[in-house]
Amino acid sequence: MSLVAEAFVTQLAEEQILLSDNASSLAVQAFLQMCNLPVRVVCRANAEYMSPSGKVPFIHVGNQVVSELGPIVQFVKAKGHSLSDGLDEVQKAEMKAYMELVNNMLLTAELYLQWCDDVTVEEITHPRYGSPYPWPLNRILSYQKQWEVRRKMKAIGWAGKTLEQVLEDVDQCCQALSQRLGTQPYFFNKQPTELDALVFGHLFTILTTQLTTDELSEKVKNYSNLTAFCRRIEQQYFEGHDKDSSTTVAARSAKRSLLR
Amino acid sequence: MAAPMELSCWGGDWGLPSLHPESLTVMAYAKFSGAPLTVNTINNSWRAPKGDVPVLISEDIVISQPAKILNFLRKQKYNADYELSAKQGADTLAYIALLEEKLLPALLHTFWVEAENYCSVTKPWFASRIAFPLSLYLPGRMSREALNRILLTRGGPPLYSLTEVEAQIYRDAKECLNLLSKRLGTSQFFFGDTPTTLDAFVFGFLAPIYKVCFPRVQLQEHLKQLPNLCRFCDDILTCYFRLTVLGFAYFNEIKTQAIYDYLRAVLQRTCMLHMGRYVTVPTGTRDEVPLECNRSGPAVPGTIIRYSFM
Repeated sequence: MSLVAEAFVTQLAEEQILLSDNASSLAVQAFLQMCNLPVRVVCRANAEYMSPSGKVPFIHVGNQVVSELGPIVQFVKAKGHSLSDGLDEVQKAEMKAYMELVNNMLLTAELYLQWCDDVTVEEITHPRYGSPYPWPLNRILSYQKQWEVRRKMKAIGWAGKTLEQVLEDVDQCCQALSQRLGTQPYFFNKQPTELDALVFGHLFTILTTQLTTDELSEKVKNYSNLTAFCRRIEQQYFEGHDKDSSTTVAARSAKRSLLR
Repeated sequence: MAAPMELSCWGGDWGLPSLHPESLTVMAYAKFSGAPLTVNTINNSWRAPKGDVPVLISEDIVISQPAKILNFLRKQKYNADYELSAKQGADTLAYIALLEEKLLPALLHTFWVEAENYCSVTKPWFASRIAFPLSLYLPGRMSREALNRILLTRGGPPLYSLTEVEAQIYRDAKECLNLLSKRLGTSQFFFGDTPTTLDAFVFGFLAPIYKVCFPRVQLQEHLKQLPNLCRFCDDILTCYFRLTVLGFAYFNEIKTQAIYDYLRAVLQRTCMLHMGRYVTVPTGTRDEVPLECNRSGPAVPGTIIRYSFM
């Protein structure tokens, strides 16, 4: 069956969504745009519970539900659309390695910042995460999620890190991405791949989300080729297609930053 | 640079200098970069490992994680990545992330969670190197931590049972091994002819899978089907660590000069055959002979080849 009809990306509600979920969601949207597949974005407060793996975003196509970027890429490939067919074996290995680097460092750093840094947790995460629910459910749910994330951080050894060390890791990761990108328009030749979508999702979200401090976005802004890369993808894939919908990605993020 | 550096880590067996992947990574990097580390293996004494292992102690600085230890060694001018380009440095980080995400869960599972492996091999081995009564408790704790890590990072829905998680992590690990094999291709190391940080990490993760004899060995069987990775591990072991030609036990248990002299002579003859170069090993006691495999440069008769005893 074709993917054209009724594919929609579901994410958490506008006022509820957090940095890491927004980054993942934007990555999936970018990937689907790059494959030229029309997609609608729908926000639901209980998206996490609807998702088969408990993580947002997920896509709903016909009667199939697929969540997270990895399985979505596989699903789309099974339907005949793939961005990485032109790569040889070594390049595919490199692409997978860089995707793991982004997941390992950037996503974990975002989760750390949201759930383990006390200032951010108090001022931003708790209010946002529990906003659709009445008291005391909002506090209970956000404490539960915080406890889960902190357990995971402890298991992988990030619980002992300070904020400075986490920011240093982000800097190292951005430096690696910047060096890999160099002066090319995309990471592999002139065609975008899922790695470009993933990196765009994370970096754009970091750049446009206002947190209690600007240190995270400053780390990314140090690398001009990464900011140029984000702008290029935004212009090519988001501004043209969003004439029908009410807001472009940039305007949505401006609205988000005003809320903080 | 003049400060003596001591590395405290788990010991080795089955031809490896250490069974612990992180310890092995640090040791390999020290060999590649020429850093003079004194290695203290944790043995049956009351100085139990405090916190994470491996631990580097230099004067009064104590550093515990492999990435931090490698950073410290680089700051002390022992840098194995000197000749890498910026892009290769970036690739190093990416591949290390790939190893940690895809290969490490299966490695932890093979060592610590798989019941037969744990009960017959891992637990007795580690318990014999920890002082009583900690030997009753620590291996169990390490096993629980490994299982915890696997479940928290890989065990979410839609995988609900441990067997499903196991199937997934072994699939991922085999895919990771295939990717590494494709990336290595036919070259000797990952970035040309000199080993770098990435080679240290890959060696640290692969060598325990390759060499340790477990009852349940699906990952080892898969690795043995990738000859270039096996050759990679063997090359590093023979060039930078002890020779695997002779029985490893002899090197651990050498006590008398007589045995040592005999073995040195056998070594000499075997190396002449193996390396095709003239070997002259200086005489002296065991402590005075620092032996490292001199693998660069043309084979000139009279070149002194030196091997290290661990």
